[in-house]
Amino acid sequence: MAGDTSEGAGHLLSPTALPRRHQAGLLGLLALAVAPLLVSDIDTLKLTSALFLAVYAMSWDAVSGYTGQISFGHALFFAAGGYTTAILNVHYGVSPVVGIPLGVLVAALAGLAIGVPALRVRGPYLSLITLVAPLIVLQLFVYFSGFTGGEIGLLGVEQFTPDPTANYYIAFGVFLFALAVFLAVTRSDAGSVFTAIREDEDAVVAAGLNPAKFKIFAFVLSAAVGGFAGAVFAHTVAAGALTPSQILALTVSIEVIIAPILGGMGTITGAAVGGLFFWLLRDQLRQMETVIPLLDVAVKQVDLLVFLLITLGFLFFLPEGIVPRLLREARRLGSQPSEATTTDGGRSPLEASLDGFRDQFERLRGGDRK
Amino acid sequence: MVNLVNIAVNWLLLSALYALVAIGFTLIFGVGGVLNLAHGANITIGAYTAYLLTTSLGASVWVGALGALVVPGLFSLALYQGLVSKVEEHPITVMILTLVTALVVEQVFVVGVGTTPRTVSSLLRGSVTIAGTSVRTNRLLVFVLSWVLIGALFAYITRTRQGKAILATSMSEKGAAIVGIDDGRIFTLTWLIAGMLAGIAGLFLASFTSAQPFIGRSPLLLSFSIVVLGGIGSIRGSVIGAYLVGLLDVVTVSMISTRLSGLLPLVVLVVVLIVRPEGLFGRELVE
Repeated sequence: MAGDTSEGAGHLLSPTALPRRHQAGLLGLLALAVAPLLVSDIDTLKLTSALFLAVYAMSWDAVSGYTGQISFGHALFFAAGGYTTAILNVHYGVSPVVGIPLGVLVAALAGLAIGVPALRVRGPYLSLITLVAPLIVLQLFVYFSGFTGGEIGLLGVEQFTPDPTANYYIAFGVFLFALAVFLAVTRSDAGSVFTAIREDEDAVVAAGLNPAKFKIFAFVLSAAVGGFAGAVFAHTVAAGALTPSQILALTVSIEVIIAPILGGMGTITGAAVGGLFFWLLRDQLRQMETVIPLLDVAVKQVDLLVFLLITLGFLFFLPEGIVPRLLREARRLGSQPSEATTTDGGRSPLEASLDGFRDQFERLRGGDRK
Repeated sequence: MVNLVNIAVNWLLLSALYALVAIGFTLIFGVGGVLNLAHGANITIGAYTAYLLTTSLGASVWVGALGALVVPGLFSLALYQGLVSKVEEHPITVMILTLVTALVVEQVFVVGVGTTPRTVSSLLRGSVTIAGTSVRTNRLLVFVLSWVLIGALFAYITRTRQGKAILATSMSEKGAAIVGIDDGRIFTLTWLIAGMLAGIAGLFLASFTSAQPFIGRSPLLLSFSIVVLGGIGSIRGSVIGAYLVGLLDVVTVSMISTRLSGLLPLVVLVVVLIVRPEGLFGRELVE
């Protein structure tokens, strides 16, 4: 989406002059801004959680979707932020105002810790490292459960406010912040370099740029914002008890991969939409009373299974994601041909990452495929 | 007082089992270049096939064992033919798809059989005494069978025409294609073999402990470490890797805490990947 940078800031003053897809985006934000006024408290709580997942998904997308360095363990960063502030708060009485920035710092350091090996270890090997890192941390957490709360969770974390609407707006603020930061970075020159690394790392080197610097920057930025969201999460949605299943478990890492891929990888906006969509779909299935024919069970009893099967279907049949597909359909129906030009030869980010991965595999395997 | 003989026996037995799982994993990776994160699902399916055959249908343990070999093999084959082969060119899609498939299989058993651990009957009853320690005959038999399977696979790969074709494909797909090897068939074959080995390992594992939906997770994680340590694609490396990783794990569990089970192998995995990504035995296949 390199075309996004072409619009000047002045256009922002008059929404009618914006391209249709930006108008749609603003409408979406507006809907999110007024949502708590229209729905019940319970739904507000749910939307709050959905917003956090959207932020996590954007955080993953900023590094994996853009630079093509696929992380299978992004939960590590959310947990670094969340648990830092929660542990400081519970055990040492540190205020969230101090705890959250420290959480961001620890998360950024975690990003550095994963980003540096990423310079040496590539492709599937990097994915294995990222997959395993949070598992190691989780096991240590369970082992030192007296300090971390283990699987039951860390109880007594200070909550900013019990009011669902206020919590929602805190989450919405984090969401807007993350969206703004990630959009700004990915639509800047640095974002172009990220994309270039995904497309062809050797070309980046040939252009005299140091991919290592940008990769580390991407990891640290993503981890810091993800950690920030995790830290705020600990003091809002977690409601006094922060558990690994909320921000550290393998399922969380998988969710933040699936959500951006469903929404559209390497677009940030797609990740945000994917995160919201993912959470709400999951929630719908959890309550669905419809009985599945033949098996004679209600959907809500087998919600995870149904959800996974739907995900499998999406991954298989709509690999480019919802947002890019909608944009393509919209373009096909409407006009705006100038935006259809892309700088990457028309490959989708997923395709480009995949190609990068394939190159890595070929290199690993002696590299004579085709 | 820690019983050293007990630890040694545990180590020898469990490692052979891990080797069975890891060999299949490394075979698929070495030949097809695919990281099959659903490999653990074969273990689960193997364990439950044996359980359902012996308990619900009242079949003999040996019929159960046959089922634990065949059903996961077919599942693995179907997974490759139906899903993976369609997106094989995209390793990352394969990783995500197989990961989701693994979760689907777990959920199928959670929903269908429940999370209660189920006892799977032993292949042989009774126990023998080795150096003053009583060892269940079942575990000894499993040890022997594991080694028989590993040996058979080794002989198959190095001696038979088909096995040599697998080896050739892992070395050079282009070269293999030039001499008329159909790589599609070879990939299918490796998935079938891998599924069968992991499936029977599932039965073995379940007969030591019990069958539960998440039984495939920790052997898969150990397989990562084993395969990376032994060198991806190397069967010999996998066996040696299995014994190294098994030693680490058994020692941690018996000397420090069972709650740290599986932790050290993961740490080793990360360290090896960073320090020596090619593993101890490089990326060659069997020799």
